[in-house]
Amino acid sequence: MISKSLAQKILNEALATGGDYAEIYLEENDSQTVVLENGQVETSGTHKSYGAGIRILNQLKSVYGYTSDLGAKSLLTLAHELAASYDGKANIVVNSIGKERVKILNPIPDPLTAVPTSEKVALLKECYAITSKVDPRIVRIQDMFINYHKTIEIFSAEGSVGKQYENSEERGRLVMVAIAADNGKIETAFAGPGRFAGWSWFKNTLDWKKKAQECGEKAIMMLNAKECPSGRYPVVIANGWGGVIFHEACGHSLEATATAKHLSVFSDSIGKQIANPIVSAFDDGTLPNEWGSNNIDSEGHVTQKNQLIKDGICVGFLVDKFNGRRLHMEANGVSRRQSYKYEPTSRMSNTYIAAGKDKPEDIIKDTPLGIYVTNFGGGSVNPTTGEFNFSASEAYIIRDGKVCEPVRGCTLIGSGKEVLMNIDRVADDVDLGQGMCGSASGSIPVNVGQPTIRIKEITVGGRGGKLE
Amino acid sequence: MKFDQFFALAKARGISESQIQIGKSKSIAMSLFHHEMDSYNISESQRIIACGIYNGKFGSCRTEKLDKTTFDFLINGIIDSASTSEKTEEASLFQGSEKYHKKNVYNPELAGVPVEKKIALLHEIENGLFAFDKRVSEVESVSYEEDESVSQFYNSFGLKLKQKSNYCIFSAGVCGKNGEEIKSAWDVFLGNDIAAFDVQDFVKRIGDKLLAKFGGVQCASGLYPTVLDNTVFSHLINYFVSSTSSDEVQRRSSFLIGKLHQKIASSKVTIEEKPLTKNVFFSYFDDEGVATTNKALVKRGVLENFLYNRETAKKDGVESTGNGQWEGDKIGVGYGNIVVKPSKKSFEDMIAPIKEGVYITEIEGLGTGMNAQSGDFSCQAQGFMIRDGKLAEPLNLITLSWNLLKMLDGVKDLDNRAKLMTNSINCPDVLVKTMSIGGK
Repeated sequence: MISKSLAQKILNEALATGGDYAEIYLEENDSQTVVLENGQVETSGTHKSYGAGIRILNQLKSVYGYTSDLGAKSLLTLAHELAASYDGKANIVVNSIGKERVKILNPIPDPLTAVPTSEKVALLKECYAITSKVDPRIVRIQDMFINYHKTIEIFSAEGSVGKQYENSEERGRLVMVAIAADNGKIETAFAGPGRFAGWSWFKNTLDWKKKAQECGEKAIMMLNAKECPSGRYPVVIANGWGGVIFHEACGHSLEATATAKHLSVFSDSIGKQIANPIVSAFDDGTLPNEWGSNNIDSEGHVTQKNQLIKDGICVGFLVDKFNGRRLHMEANGVSRRQSYKYEPTSRMSNTYIAAGKDKPEDIIKDTPLGIYVTNFGGGSVNPTTGEFNFSASEAYIIRDGKVCEPVRGCTLIGSGKEVLMNIDRVADDVDLGQGMCGSASGSIPVNVGQPTIRIKEITVGGRGGKLE
Repeated sequence: MKFDQFFALAKARGISESQIQIGKSKSIAMSLFHHEMDSYNISESQRIIACGIYNGKFGSCRTEKLDKTTFDFLINGIIDSASTSEKTEEASLFQGSEKYHKKNVYNPELAGVPVEKKIALLHEIENGLFAFDKRVSEVESVSYEEDESVSQFYNSFGLKLKQKSNYCIFSAGVCGKNGEEIKSAWDVFLGNDIAAFDVQDFVKRIGDKLLAKFGGVQCASGLYPTVLDNTVFSHLINYFVSSTSSDEVQRRSSFLIGKLHQKIASSKVTIEEKPLTKNVFFSYFDDEGVATTNKALVKRGVLENFLYNRETAKKDGVESTGNGQWEGDKIGVGYGNIVVKPSKKSFEDMIAPIKEGVYITEIEGLGTGMNAQSGDFSCQAQGFMIRDGKLAEPLNLITLSWNLLKMLDGVKDLDNRAKLMTNSINCPDVLVKTMSIGGK
């Protein structure tokens, strides 16, 4: 997007006042969203996001700025204004920039941007046709296809030889929403499979027929659900998207953004037991073509498989370049951002609890009275206190080891430290689920994942009184 | 850029009517950590959103790339978008309102305040928080953000509108330890006049919030008379107001279907939309170029109005209420400056009759814990017990679950502590007859 010689000038301007690291992040993002409302194309729009962010680090200080004007004057002015935040002399002069080889971990043979809108519309219409046949009480169906192609160029320098990285991302998401209404009750069901992949995966590999059917069925089922009871109960959480519990209860608290400044409950936990010994967990940005994967991170580091917990012991954090300085730890390929408008920081990619030895059906069978959560709407956490919450979008009562009636309005709350120790069963059926994670550097695609697990006791919120 | 040229090019390509909106913004942000500048951000960006009518259909496109290719990109985007649309209604753009109530809300003095003074205020906040109490173990963040934006609206009918605004936000978060117990608290100040920012009061609010949380317990699960702090109430009111969107009602996704002009809330409840209030959320035209107006949504418990854009107004045979707002690739229905009418009663007088109840001061997880279509919600909460009309022990890790309409119907009282929140809702604390609390 800019020439090497201009990049070199900008880096030198940025480093003129004593900065020890400078970086230019350039991005051009072409996206398209097609929305069908009750089977009819409601909107279809193309968008272009375009701009650059410049970051200068000086020991434990960081300055960052961005602009949507990629002209030489604009970028040099931005670098100059940012450099004015420091008052030293240049310690680094960039003499040359070498291009780094970026290994493609996520090949895209059939880019989504090349697919005619009519093909996307045809797929969405087939999804609509399936969901609409589920039950006449479904009053509204939205089907959406969202995709983007992002071209990224990074120039960085912390010595006389700068580095240049080029990368691209291609992600798509098929979103289905079904709203059912009956007798004054309104319930919503959602499905949103996504992937760093091309069109053939969506069209041929993804079982979208099943997703569309299930989406309608869930909305209808929830119409008949009773209010969830409240109190402290054993909770079995199904595999896949259930992993949002680990994402919130533990993942965010292991990000260097929180641990570097000792603002996390797990700040001093490396080498210490933070979970039941049956729990091991990873963050893996290298899983080929997964929703949260990437070839390199926002700083140019190659993505990695990072183990966070081994047999209950905390063995690693998610570390970006800047926060790694406070921690005296190397960056491990996890620096991410939504766009050039955000300064990058440590974030999760594909985070999951590893498979255990149990069978999911045995875990249910061994639970006399409790709650079985099969799907979540999402959740949030305060990394400082470790207190988290999740809202279940699909849950059932377990009685005498059997899954019984569905319940709605179910919230789980607790503290990360407590819940990790309280996981007393881990099954062998690991699966991943797709979501968007919002935090310091914006909203980014992440996979959460886990096998079926049981938490021996957690606070459940609902309007249904005591569980009996 | 020459926008007349854009309109001419669009017309030549068959776009009969067109509209263009340019948003430009400039911002600075800075934060301290351990008495040093930890981060400093500056930015300048612009964006163009264009839309038009092609073969009777509405199409739109947006870009941040402004160069010689921009007009072609936008025109191609509008044509592609309109050509894919299967909406059967004939679309049109707006020629202009008869009268606009323009006000100047831009404060030129804000940008003129030296950066050194803004940094000095951050140091004052940080020092104040560290000195507040020995249980304050860390000041997590102290930050300042300032934003200046200009929004311009042009259309092929010759309508030209412009609004300039600015605001600043001070925010701080603190962490405290009492033995093994760790708690955190934070607050924000929003405005565009630094002179109105009182550091001492800001520090005291955050410090008091933190200390009051130590020793938090779970209460027994059950139904309690519940007082919602104005911040908490504003989050819930936000969801209620989004249900007054005519778009949601027409799509059968709102719990307010069939309830217009009916009593839906306690007669103590009056909710208005006042976009013409002179504050940082002021707006005198919407995204269709329609002049905005102040209006009652709920008056003494009766649902008075839905919010309309031009398309939904046409369907219901009424006029747009000036609530057109971009929502993805269409102009949907939005709002700003919502006011819930307070009473003259103090907080202490409002809670005095409660023998045993709960005061909720913070909620988390409403984004996923709210079913916006039914109004049912369940989320994490904290606060205090109320015993014999007075605040008692702190509560932690409890849940608050109820339904928005039942909440408004159950309003027994409101107090006089109305405050404008960062979500553009100005509301007081409220006492609800009963709500479901989950704990032990």
